Amino acid sequence: MSPFLRFSTINKSFGGIHALRDVSLEIEGGVIVGLVGENGAGKSTLMNVLGGVLEPDSGEIHIEGTSYAPQSPRDATRWGVAFIHQELNLFTNLTVAENLFIDGFPTLPGLPFVDRRRVRRETEDALHSVQLEIAPGTRVETLSPGQRQLIEIVKALRRDARLIVFDEPTTSLTSKETEKLFGIIRGLKAAGKTIIFISHILNDVEELADFIVVLRDGQVQGHGPIGEFPINRMISLMVGRDIRNLYPERSAHDPGPVLLSVEKVSQPGIVRDIDLVVRSGEIVGVFGLMGSGRTELARIIFGLDPQRSGQIRLKDRTLSPGQIRERIEAGMAFVTEERREEGLVMDLSVQSNLVLVTLRSFLTRFGGLTKPGLIAMESEKIVEQLRIKTAGAGTTPVKSLSGGNQQKTVIGKWLLSRPDILILDEPTRGVDVGAKYEVHAIVQKLAENGAGVLMISSELDELIGTADRIVVMSRGELTGEFPRDSYEKELILAAAFRQSVVMSEETGAGGAV
Amino acid sequence: MVFKRNQPDTLASGKLSLIRHATQHVLVSEYFVLILTIVYFLIVWAFVPWIGNRSNLMNILARVWPLLAAAVGQTFVLIVAGIDLSQVAVMAVTSVVGTSLITESVNPILFEGNPIWGVLITEQGGILAGHPAGVPIAIIVVLLIGMAIGLINGTAIAVFRMPAFVVTLVSMMFFGAFAIFLTYSENIMNIPAGYTGIAMERLGPISASLLISVLLAVVAYMILGRSILGRWMYAVGLNPRTARVSGVPTRGVLIFVYTFSGFCAAVAGILMTARLQVGRPVAGGLDTMLQIIGANVIGGMSLMGGKGKVQWTVFGVVFFVVLQNSVDQMNLDTFVVRIVLGFAILMAALLDVARNRMAGSLAQTPSPTVGAGT
Amino acid sequence: MITRNKVYNFALNQTTLLLFAALFVIFGSLAPRFLSPSSFQGILYASSTLGIMAVGITLVLLTGGIDLSLGSNMYLTGVFGHLLLNVVEVPVWIAIPGALMVGLAYGALNAVLVTRLKIVPFVATLGTLLMGRGLGLVITRSISIDFPDSLTGLRNVAFLGIRLPVMVMLAVMLLFHFVLTRTQFGRQMYAVGNNGEAAAKAGLRTTRIVAGAYVLCGLLASLAGVVAMTRLGRFNPNFAAGDELFAIAAAVLGGASLFGGIGVILPGTLLGALMIPMVRSGLVFVGVDIYRERMVMFAIVFLAVFIDSIRKEQMEKRERRTIMKVDVEGESR
Repeated sequence: MSPFLRFSTINKSFGGIHALRDVSLEIEGGVIVGLVGENGAGKSTLMNVLGGVLEPDSGEIHIEGTSYAPQSPRDATRWGVAFIHQELNLFTNLTVAENLFIDGFPTLPGLPFVDRRRVRRETEDALHSVQLEIAPGTRVETLSPGQRQLIEIVKALRRDARLIVFDEPTTSLTSKETEKLFGIIRGLKAAGKTIIFISHILNDVEELADFIVVLRDGQVQGHGPIGEFPINRMISLMVGRDIRNLYPERSAHDPGPVLLSVEKVSQPGIVRDIDLVVRSGEIVGVFGLMGSGRTELARIIFGLDPQRSGQIRLKDRTLSPGQIRERIEAGMAFVTEERREEGLVMDLSVQSNLVLVTLRSFLTRFGGLTKPGLIAMESEKIVEQLRIKTAGAGTTPVKSLSGGNQQKTVIGKWLLSRPDILILDEPTRGVDVGAKYEVHAIVQKLAENGAGVLMISSELDELIGTADRIVVMSRGELTGEFPRDSYEKELILAAAFRQSVVMSEETGAGGAV
Repeated sequence: MVFKRNQPDTLASGKLSLIRHATQHVLVSEYFVLILTIVYFLIVWAFVPWIGNRSNLMNILARVWPLLAAAVGQTFVLIVAGIDLSQVAVMAVTSVVGTSLITESVNPILFEGNPIWGVLITEQGGILAGHPAGVPIAIIVVLLIGMAIGLINGTAIAVFRMPAFVVTLVSMMFFGAFAIFLTYSENIMNIPAGYTGIAMERLGPISASLLISVLLAVVAYMILGRSILGRWMYAVGLNPRTARVSGVPTRGVLIFVYTFSGFCAAVAGILMTARLQVGRPVAGGLDTMLQIIGANVIGGMSLMGGKGKVQWTVFGVVFFVVLQNSVDQMNLDTFVVRIVLGFAILMAALLDVARNRMAGSLAQTPSPTVGAGT
Repeated sequence: MITRNKVYNFALNQTTLLLFAALFVIFGSLAPRFLSPSSFQGILYASSTLGIMAVGITLVLLTGGIDLSLGSNMYLTGVFGHLLLNVVEVPVWIAIPGALMVGLAYGALNAVLVTRLKIVPFVATLGTLLMGRGLGLVITRSISIDFPDSLTGLRNVAFLGIRLPVMVMLAVMLLFHFVLTRTQFGRQMYAVGNNGEAAAKAGLRTTRIVAGAYVLCGLLASLAGVVAMTRLGRFNPNFAAGDELFAIAAAVLGGASLFGGIGVILPGTLLGALMIPMVRSGLVFVGVDIYRERMVMFAIVFLAVFIDSIRKEQMEKRERRTIMKVDVEGESR
């Protein structure tokens, strides 16, 4: 008998970079498979191939022995393959029932009107199957993230999904909601569905999965029953080879005076009691899982998000919450996670982007006019210094640049402001390996010249390779701090997971660690 | 996918693609509208020779100046991805208040009992009538009023984050009603020569109107092209989030832009009133609003923001006026003008869509990011 | 704590109703005659044309679009009605459907421009606004047109004391209330307006849905035109010019959002459409002159929009993602 799902030697590469290499896998029906791997390991690519979003360069997929080659997400749906993504595709202005039936309502016999009674009844049944005790007429906008996720699951079930892929489903859920979700997933398994469960939270995987598949560098590093994969084995397979030479050499040195100090910063529901200092010449890495509050912390420090209590000081200046201009003037810079949405003005030229922050320094003495010559000269310097590859900084729109060069433009824009503190959020996401090295070299140079750097990354290797000190966040709190001479991946990961370990054991006492 | 992928050129289609490239070049050119206007004018001239007469050319120019002043303000607003429908109301308020301050005499039968009677106007005319600095003071007053209305719009939009369309729509209706309320819809006549003289051609086509309008356009050009404000405006129009993170005072920029738009509308109101020699509470009106926005759209401005130059506005305004004038001169129904103008606006919009498509297909090379995270 | 919250939420969600009730009470107490049945009838009758237009514009607003061409559409409908009744001299029961074809074609043109040619709705309907009015004026040569008694007589037809124009408006509102709340097409319109991308992903025919909104809006505008023909008996060359702006104001007063996905016909658009004539007539009863009346009315519209934007901000705050839900709950205890 053939297995339920079979991948045979799937290959996929993007411009010379192998995202998937000869991936072959067999998955039995009616089991829960935990798919783990670091960012960039190929999980998303593999699932995109499965979901009809990407076409593999070579290789085949079979479902129950039949060749399966989806051309679109709708194709995949027809085959009974459903995805529960992190960002949900629900219509917030409609009710739960309407979201379930939006692509085809039952109508009253002989009339164009929706059979509301039937919709309500079927919705109630469907909600009951996931133990969601809400009225079918509830608007989605009033639901919690966990409840919304359950509705996505109900949607998938209504389409007779046989294979359901959960992509990081628990990151925005409370521990209670997570437990409930697990119960439902187990119920699905009992009903004969096949589940692929992707998560960074290895405790969740361990608790739920029957089988484990570990991906790294686009290859299957190991697979087998959960009994053979204790968490430390998962981690060591995920982490793999030594990649220190991927990052520029970081020589040991003594950090200077404190530049940035964050004291007891809290924002309800986001972060709690964060204490953190960054010294001159120091690169501090912030590690955390998705949803740990790492990005939110950076945004609070830069004044983009509100802060209920605590103090942020830059050198000797106490910063008032929400004042971005004040921070920039005081010497703070922020390379955001979302490069396209918040880092660049994609339609403007490289030059215009480079000088956006520092325009005030290019003014003539009179009338607020800019000095085009000086702007061209200064931006040309940055283009050369950072080796931004562009057909002409003054005319090329930044959107036509590669990811790496775009990121260098964002960094260049802040370099022009000669920052004392540079905050980087996922600075190398979507950047190829070569440019990655260059980005890190730029950051190091900046630190060598006396600036302090706060670098957020979900790639632990990157932080180990570049940071002088790593602090770990989990569920909005700092859960560990590691100086450079005591980097140990397992310990750092454990700190990042710790909160969830505690959560799953906690008995409602309410106190966090 | 809506857009077709660019087909690689084969040898056989080489010649064809050359023509296509040439056409594309003209279409994408910044001067397309200007070229179109000139070509159109020449063609019409061949059939209707008197369109090139001195008096007609003067007429065309006289109509350009007020429209240009207002349209330049609208350009700023469009660049920050907004819209200002209230400009016509500003023009109306400007027209009424400015003239009532300085009118030399009014008919008491018409004006007695209306809100400005005894405040701005008495039986001796406007309270500034005959005052040596009356005209300049009146002008300063109405410019301030225009800016104040713009400031209200800008504050509602930037601080209270209300949709620009609704804010300026309601503003248009309110201040439009206010202008009519001031005089109970009576026109104000007997405006001193110091005011109407603004529109008078003194040396060839040169009038104060021309100088004012051109000066305004040049200032706008400098702001957009050379100043820090201009750079901020494009950034805010294209990506307000990036602008905010980069320390751009986005609220301030928006408030400035709407205030400037109100100022420009007040200037337009003054120029128009001077030309018509009457203070009209219904000055401007819907048609004028359509002209202002239409000229911008034809010039190539996008309602999505971040795009546009003052030159384009000038071309759009000239095109609009020439088109209108030519249809008048051809002795066609004046109503045909609207059809042609409507059609021209649609064509301009289509051209914009096509341009973006061309630019998009040239710039977009498929480059999926690897490992973009789960 | 909870009750105050509830009151606050109710106020946020029912701004239209509260505003309507407030105006009603204010005018009622200032001028008792305002509360008479004949005054209500007058308000209803005066709102009939605007009400039908507002339904049309609500549909378009739901999809996140806008239609500026309603006034021209109505005028052109009148012109064709005039041709059919006065020139071809067909009977009324043929002339009315004939004139309505104008609106259908008008709406279809807007739909093509917006959905197929991808022109921004504002510009597309601005273009058809000019063209439609121009075409109408070319036909009438800018002269007022009068409609025969066979048509205008319809305005006096009444059933249970409700006159025909009012009946037509109420019927249209009821019909489209059901279309929006009870049919698949209606619900999908909300989905498209809320999240067009997700709607396409879910397999909805978004182009058709948006196009449908414009076509229906065109048809309704034209119906409003016919109602105006019977009510007024005469169209000036600038008939209904700019009236689309009042229709938009009515829809927005009724709670429709310019960003799509939000808005209801009953009670929203109905209240919005009633509010404008109500304020008008209330101010007349109070003794405010016509000039001040308009200003007061627009000030009220501004207030409504202002409240709406504050409401939206509050809702966004509520939507904001939280990470530590457990902790938040813990804190509030």
